[in-house]
Amino acid sequence: MSVRISAMSVLPPVRRDRIIAQLPQYFRKEAALHTKEDFNNKVKTACQEQRTGTVGRFKISKVIVVGDLAVGKTCLINRFCKDAFDKNYKATIGVDFEMERFEVLGVPFSLQLWDTAGQERFKCIASTYYRGAQVVIIVFDVNDVASLGHTRQWLEDALKENDPTAVQLFLVGTKKDLSSPAQYAQIEQDALKIAKEISAEYWAVSSLTGENVREFFFRVASLAFETNVLAELEKSGTRQIGDVVRINSNSSNVHTTSKKKQPNCCQ
Amino acid sequence: MALQGPEELGEQVEEPEELEDASSISPAEEITLPAGPGGDEEPPEEEALLLPWDRFSAWLHCICVVGFDLELGQAVEVIYPHHSKLSEKEKTSICYLSFPDSNSGCLGDTQFCFRFRQGSNRKSSLGCFLETTDRDAPPCLKREQGHYYGYVYFRQVRDKSLKRGYFQKSLVLISKLPYVTFFHSLLKIMAPEYFEKQEPCLEAACNDIDRWPTPHPGRILTLPIMGVVIKVRIPTCYDKPGTSQLVQSAQSDSLVSIVLPTIHEVDLFRCFYPVFFHIQMLWELVLLGEALVVMAPSPAESSDTVLALVSCISPLRYSSDFRPYFTIHDSEFKEYTTRTQAPPSVILGVTNPFFAKTLQHWPHIIRIGDMKQAGEMAKQMKVKKLKNLKTLDSKPGVYTAYKPYLNKDEEIIKQLQKGVQQKRPSAAQNAIIRRYFLELTQSFIIPLERYVASLMPLQKSISPWKNPPQLRPFIQQDFMKTLEKAGPQLTSRLKGDWIGLYRNFLKSPNFDGWFRNRRREMTQKLEALHLEALCEEDLQQRIQQHTEVESVDLVLKLKDKLTQAEKEQLPVRPGTLAKLKSHIEAVILALPDDLQGILHKPSTP
Repeated sequence: MSVRISAMSVLPPVRRDRIIAQLPQYFRKEAALHTKEDFNNKVKTACQEQRTGTVGRFKISKVIVVGDLAVGKTCLINRFCKDAFDKNYKATIGVDFEMERFEVLGVPFSLQLWDTAGQERFKCIASTYYRGAQVVIIVFDVNDVASLGHTRQWLEDALKENDPTAVQLFLVGTKKDLSSPAQYAQIEQDALKIAKEISAEYWAVSSLTGENVREFFFRVASLAFETNVLAELEKSGTRQIGDVVRINSNSSNVHTTSKKKQPNCCQ
Repeated sequence: MALQGPEELGEQVEEPEELEDASSISPAEEITLPAGPGGDEEPPEEEALLLPWDRFSAWLHCICVVGFDLELGQAVEVIYPHHSKLSEKEKTSICYLSFPDSNSGCLGDTQFCFRFRQGSNRKSSLGCFLETTDRDAPPCLKREQGHYYGYVYFRQVRDKSLKRGYFQKSLVLISKLPYVTFFHSLLKIMAPEYFEKQEPCLEAACNDIDRWPTPHPGRILTLPIMGVVIKVRIPTCYDKPGTSQLVQSAQSDSLVSIVLPTIHEVDLFRCFYPVFFHIQMLWELVLLGEALVVMAPSPAESSDTVLALVSCISPLRYSSDFRPYFTIHDSEFKEYTTRTQAPPSVILGVTNPFFAKTLQHWPHIIRIGDMKQAGEMAKQMKVKKLKNLKTLDSKPGVYTAYKPYLNKDEEIIKQLQKGVQQKRPSAAQNAIIRRYFLELTQSFIIPLERYVASLMPLQKSISPWKNPPQLRPFIQQDFMKTLEKAGPQLTSRLKGDWIGLYRNFLKSPNFDGWFRNRRREMTQKLEALHLEALCEEDLQQRIQQHTEVESVDLVLKLKDKLTQAEKEQLPVRPGTLAKLKSHIEAVILALPDDLQGILHKPSTP
C-alpha cells in the first residue's frame, strides 16, 4: 500500500515564456550583482548532469518586495505575473503573494513573491513576512526622490530578519514612463550611487508599458537560481544530493504482521 | 513486509525501486496528482466568482481572541473579521472552552481544540458551493453540519505588570473543518506573532487566508500565510486509505515553505500510549458508539485523545457527538451528565476533577496521566483494568465492565511493546497503530459493504418510463447469514464473537450514519442510471404517440430531473446532462408556438 511515486506526475510543463536558457544580462554595468556573460560553469554542468531528479532541491526562492507607499510594488508584480496593469490604486493589506514558476537551464525553479504593504500601519508585522527571504527587491518611484531616499530604511528593516550576506538585493525604479529623459537621467545618477553603496543591482522599469519588467524578473530568477545551485553544490560535497526523504507515516513497511492477509480496499 | 526496525520509519528514505522514473520526481513542491476528480491544477472556474471574504469563509468562520477580564472573567475581546456573526450563546461557549480549567496549570503555550453546537442556524450564501467542494472528501473529513470546531492557541506567562500577575490569552480559530493538524500548524505560525504584534497581524493573516484557494479535496494547495507557504493536500474519498500523497522534501526550508503530510491525523501512539493495552477494546467501544469519557490533566491531552478515539474507526465516520474538551460551563452539561437517563452516545474529554464525581455512573472511563511521563506508565498498565474505582486520584487506565466481543490481538500489543523497548520512533509506532485500526475497521465493514451493494436493484429493472426502482431494504437476518461465508474471517485472523459485535453495531448511531450515507449514494446512483436510460430513449418518437398534455408533462418532469441532477450533482456519465437538455429542447420545439413560449421561460424558483 505504499505511495507509488510514479502514480504522480510533476506539474504541467512550465509556461513557454518562463523558460530561461541563457543568463539574462544586467541593466547597468556599474550596478550589477555580477557582470558575467553566462551562467557559472559549475552550475551549467550540474544542471546538465542532474537529469535524474536530483536537481529539484534548489527549486524555490523567497522574494520580498518592499518600498514606500504607492511606488508601484503590486503593479510591478501584476505586470509580470498576470501581464495586467490596473490604473486604479488599491492599497495592499498586509501582503499579497504570487508564485511564479520558471525553468532555468532545464530545471524547474519557483519564485515566491511576497508583495508587502507600504503602509505604516503594517510596518510592525512586516518582519514576519521578511523572514527567510533570499532576494529583496527595493522599489522606488523614479519621479519621487523621497521614495529613493527611503530605500535605505527599507533595506535595513528587511535585513534585520535575514542574513545580510545571503541576500541578493535589487533596487528598482518604477514609473519610468512618467519621467522625461532628463529627469530620469538625474535620478538615475542618485539611484546608481545608492545601489553601489548597498551592493544592489539597479533596474528601471515601467509597469504601464511593461518596459524591462520581464527582463528584470528573469534576471532575478536566474541569479537566485545560480546562487542556490552554487550553495547547494558547496554543501553537498560529501552527501549525495537529491535523496528524497519521505515523512510518511503510512508506508508499506508498516505492516502489523508478516503473514496477515490484506483486506480488499472497501472504500 | 515485516517491520524491520526503527530507522526505516521515522524519516523514510525513498526506496530505490520506487525511484525508477526518478527523472520526473521532485519534492513535494512540484508534485501533483494526475488529473482526476479534483486533481486538476488550475483553479476551477467557480472560484472566479467568489467575493471578498468568501475564500476566508471557506476555511474559517472567524478568529476570536479570548482574554481574561478581572471583572467579567473570560471574554471574547476581538472577533475577526468584524462582520462575523456569533450568537451570545456561542460566544459564551467559546469563552469557556478557550481556556484550560484553572486546575490544569498550563504555563507557557498550549494548543488544543474543542467542538461546540452551532447556536443559530445561519445559512451561508456559500453553502451550495462548499457542498460541492465537500463532495469528494472522505466521510470523516467532511464539513461539520451542526457544530463548529475551535482550535486554540493559549498562552499563559507571568507578567508582573498585569493586575492578575499573568498574561492569559487565547487565539481561537472557529471552523467547520475537522483539519486539526493543519489548523494547529497554522496557529503555531499565527499566534506567537499575534501576541507580539496585535491586531494588524490578524488583519494581515485574514487577508492572506482570503487569498487562499478553497479547501478542495485532491488538489495540492499552496497557502501563503505570514511569510511562509504551507503546502497541503486534502485527501479525497477515492484515495487508498492509509496512504499519504504529499511528500516532504528533505531540506524544505521551514522559513519559506512547510509541507504538511497530513491535515487531520493525530499521533495515535502518543495518545493511546497510556492505555495501549486496551486499544482493541477502545476500538470496539468507539465503533459501538458507547458513552466514553476521557479524563486528562489538560485540554491538550483530552482533546488529542478524544480525536484519536474518534479517528480510530476511520474510514468510518464517528456519527455521535464528541467533545475533545468539555467543561462544566458547556451548554450541554446538564443534558450529558444527567442521571435520569442512560449516558448518551458521546465521547467527552474533560479535565475538571469535578467530572470524576459527576460522571461516576458512566460505563467507560479512560484516565490518562501526564503524557510527558508516559515512559513510566507502560508497565503498570498490564494489570490495570479496574471496576468501580473512580476516585479523584485514580491511576491512569481504562475503567469499564465492558467485555470485548473480539479476542484480544496479542500480536499488536507485543509489537508495540517491542517498539517501546527498542525505542522505535513514535512516528513508526503511530503508523503501526494506524494500520492496525484500519485493517480492523476494514475487515469489519467489508461484509456490510458487500451486503449493502447487493441491495441495489438490477440494471435491467431500470425503465426510463417508470420511476427509478427502490433499494431493497436492509434485513438484519439476511445480512447475518452472509457472514457465514463472507464474514470478517476472510480478512482478519481475529477470533471472537463477530456476530455479537455486528448485532450491537447495527443498533448504533455509527451504523445509522454510515447506512444513511450509503443509501443516499446508492439512491443517487439509481437516479443517475435512470437519467442515463432516459437520455437513450427516442423522445421524438414517443411524443408523436402522445397527446399535447402528456408532452408538456414530460417536459416539466424532465426539467425537474435536470434541476435535481444539477443540484445533487448526480454521478451521471459525462455528457448526460447536455443530452437531457437537448432532449427537452427538442420536445419543446415540437409543440405549438404559444406553448413553446411558456415552456422556454425559466422556471421561477
